[in-house]
Amino acid sequence: MQLTDTGESRVNGYLFVLERSLKSFLPPEVVRDAVREIESHLRERIASADGAPNEREVVERILAELGPPLRVAQAYSAERTIDEAVATGRFVAIVRAVGHLAATTVMGFLAGLGFLIGYLTSFCFFAIAVLKPIFPNNVGVQFIHGFPVSLSAHFPVGNADLRGGYWIIPFALFCGLGIFVGTHHGARRYLSWWRERRLS
Amino acid sequence: MSHETWQEQLRRGSLDLAILLTVSTGPRYGLAIIQHLEAFTDLVVTEGTIYPILGRLTREGLLEAEWVEGEAPHARKYYKLTRSGAKRLTTMKAEWRAFADKISRLMDAAEESRHATH
Repeated sequence: MQLTDTGESRVNGYLFVLERSLKSFLPPEVVRDAVREIESHLRERIASADGAPNEREVVERILAELGPPLRVAQAYSAERTIDEAVATGRFVAIVRAVGHLAATTVMGFLAGLGFLIGYLTSFCFFAIAVLKPIFPNNVGVQFIHGFPVSLSAHFPVGNADLRGGYWIIPFALFCGLGIFVGTHHGARRYLSWWRERRLS
Repeated sequence: MSHETWQEQLRRGSLDLAILLTVSTGPRYGLAIIQHLEAFTDLVVTEGTIYPILGRLTREGLLEAEWVEGEAPHARKYYKLTRSGAKRLTTMKAEWRAFADKISRLMDAAEESRHATH
């Protein structure tokens, strides 16, 4: 079957949505390959529908059998991102996989929120360690009414009662690293569990 | 577990084996694999979800993929079984047969004891 402009736009629209959805989770070369393969599938199906009277009906049936683009994209992401994250343990891959689950399931969202808090907390500690030697008077343990309440950086210092010497740097590095490793290990185990559950 | 969940798990669990069996006779492209599966099984519910599985099996080294131009008006991506895929398929077939035999024996035993009590 030779598609009219309307049929062609419907197919291109499907591929566009698929590509956009895949781009948020997968590397560009994987997206290109996946879209090319799905387009090849569609063209093959359409070509084999020679003689069908209603083009619109045929295109809609073929697209329905293939599945909505978001569902296809989710299947790609689920197969790819989680496997990659569990196998490599790389930070970007883990964040991408956790983000994918957070966007698609309620439990994934809650877990993702927990991991986000963990990662952000560790980065805050790292920031303190970096800022202390640059702004020694702005970074320290903040005391309120004589009690230590936080490890923080103030710009400007104002009335804040900041204390503590350079020992804050190794302390912040130790805490940041501990929280980062704990969060990362937890995220990888969570994804591994999720993968096992999917395969079972 | 609902009946639908059980069916879905059964389908997912057997899809990898079905795909490896399909390409074990020779290289096939995505749509040909889907059509073969549709002809013999009810495993393909949404055609688009087969491609990510083919991608995973390729990443795991069980399949090898290659784009072939000029055979049709559009390029086709062919999949073929690798040596490691063939090994895995042999193991999976043996395990599947053993598993199916055990379940069959269990069903027969249940049937026999049901007849005996009546």
